[in-house]
Amino acid sequence: MIELLAWPLVAALVLTGMHAWLGLHVLARGVVFVDLALAQVAALGIMVALLYGFPVQSDAAYWHALAFAIAGAVLFAAARAAEASINQEAVIGIVYAVSAALGVLALDRAPQGAEHIKQLLIGSLLTVTPGEVVELALLYGFIGLAHWLVRRPLVEVSFHPLLAGARRRSIFFWDVVFYGSFALVVTSSVRIAGVLLVFSYLIVPAAIAGLFSPSLATRLALAWALGAAVTVAGFLASWGWDLPTGPAIVAVFGMATALAVIARASLRTLAMWGCGIAALAGLLLVAAPQVEQPWLPEAMFLSGDELEMRAETLQSVDAASTELARLRELEQDVRWGRETMTDEKQERLRQYLAGRSEILAGERLVLKALSEAARERQRYIVGLPLLALASAALGLLFSARARSGRR
Amino acid sequence: MRFAFLLALAVWAAPGQASLLEVVTTSADLRSLVAAVGGDRVKVESLALPEHDPHAIELKPAQLAALRRAALVVRVGLDHEPWLARLKTDGMVLDASRGVHLLQTQTPRLRVERKAHSHAFGNTHYWLDPRNAWPITASIVEALSRLAPAERAVFEMNRARFLQRLEPKIAEWTQRLAPLRGAKAVVIHDSWAYFAERFGLAIVAAAESTPGVPPSPAELSKLFARMREAGVKLVIADPHSNPALVRQIAEKTGARPVTLLPSGLDYIALFDENATRLSR
Repeated sequence: MIELLAWPLVAALVLTGMHAWLGLHVLARGVVFVDLALAQVAALGIMVALLYGFPVQSDAAYWHALAFAIAGAVLFAAARAAEASINQEAVIGIVYAVSAALGVLALDRAPQGAEHIKQLLIGSLLTVTPGEVVELALLYGFIGLAHWLVRRPLVEVSFHPLLAGARRRSIFFWDVVFYGSFALVVTSSVRIAGVLLVFSYLIVPAAIAGLFSPSLATRLALAWALGAAVTVAGFLASWGWDLPTGPAIVAVFGMATALAVIARASLRTLAMWGCGIAALAGLLLVAAPQVEQPWLPEAMFLSGDELEMRAETLQSVDAASTELARLRELEQDVRWGRETMTDEKQERLRQYLAGRSEILAGERLVLKALSEAARERQRYIVGLPLLALASAALGLLFSARARSGRR
Repeated sequence: MRFAFLLALAVWAAPGQASLLEVVTTSADLRSLVAAVGGDRVKVESLALPEHDPHAIELKPAQLAALRRAALVVRVGLDHEPWLARLKTDGMVLDASRGVHLLQTQTPRLRVERKAHSHAFGNTHYWLDPRNAWPITASIVEALSRLAPAERAVFEMNRARFLQRLEPKIAEWTQRLAPLRGAKAVVIHDSWAYFAERFGLAIVAAAESTPGVPPSPAELSKLFARMREAGVKLVIADPHSNPALVRQIAEKTGARPVTLLPSGLDYIALFDENATRLSR
């Protein structure tokens, strides 16, 4: 398992290094979706290569992708110059939608590439090869070095455009440098990690770091540390709970953002959100008791007979699940040839498994019916007081805030 | 006398009057089978090319018009073409899966628990067993004959001729694939159940048990370990399988990756090609 995760982990850390830095720029420029647009433009380039008969994984396809992405980068740089007449974010959105649509039109003529393009945008971090990681690290190292050498104009143009203007820097030129190198990074990273993960690496560490420090250097250090921590946590989650790795990392990024926002929020804001959520839960219970509410203890609202039935069913569900898991493992072993079994016995096992699963599903239905009965009883006893109390508390908090605001 | 004359006229005029039956199929394989049965009496068009993903087709206006016009629509059925449900056709719709002995028809709930192929009514890739050409073409003869009763004999004859061509081919493919009989294989996507059943391959696992969801590290490492232990030497991929995943499985286990085609313009040529790729 470790050997399986080692290179993907290194790849993810390399991604963190480059994207945290670019993310700070992207946030300062207010062009959050630029990477999605550039990835889509690069995919369009590959589709055009397909139309000309080059296979998806050929060098020609890669150069097409890169050329298209750089053309997109120049377009975005030009869009900033024309910002007075058309919003840059709108241009990015339009480029995204149009290149996705043109891609569909191209695929209509060359359908053999459709799944590959989809895969390209989804990426597969887990199947990255050592060679790819080394290439990625070299490329990012080179771009990082170049950015370091010209950091002054780059930072000025991204973070202090007025100052850059006053110093008579060519904003268009430095924008082309920024978006061009960005295009180079995105074309390579999306291939490996997919758009979702690349977007998260770009935006989340930079956004969270922005919550804690105004200094660029501190933010960069924070973003790197955070990106690395989330990456490791995501890999651990994927490993421990048996989850697909990419989506697991994105989910941890989401959680990290929520935690950071909570950590920065005042006690009063947190109390207001808590009351709001409690009031909503109460309202939901009153209005629609059939909706699942996993936080509610149901045992208190069941009769003695029902409790007995619930305990028995839980026990039998537990036993059946264990037995099914064991038999399925046995069935797998037979399939893989670790165990031998006559055809007739195999068929009997299959039939038994099917029947047992149906019974298990029936038992789960009993549990569901019991919790529905409990929620029906909780509807007014719990739901109404919860709604009333939480709403009252929320009202008090709001009026307290209004009063302190006036003072 | 006059009646006999009219009858003679009708019989004489019939072939000239019979315009071509317009048939639309949802897949290229069904198109090939309809063309084999219908011969020169039908004009048949497929909505999907072999390279298209049959689950997600975006129809073009001309295809929509053809679908509206068609006297007969032949579909794979089960839940293979979810996009077809929202389209209207005035013609007869033939579900080609009727009469086919389906595999993996456990209830959807069981399927979910086992993470098998996500189709709810059984594995839909039944045309990949060439023996299923018998029931499929039989349904096609029935449907075409209902639309053109006078041509039944022609359709029957065309079908018999096609199956006569197919029969020795199946023997040939079986012979060519004989070395693989009983060999364990891992598939990327669970679309080869029928093919494997016919030619005696033992499919032991699907690497991507849920299409579109990448396998987790634990699933992959278990797969690799089991493949090495069981000595699995063959990985069957589809043209749209994730190439990085296929490459990784091949590298880590030493198994030979083979990409098989799930669909083709010519039914017999499709199996010829797949047999060649497998026995190479």
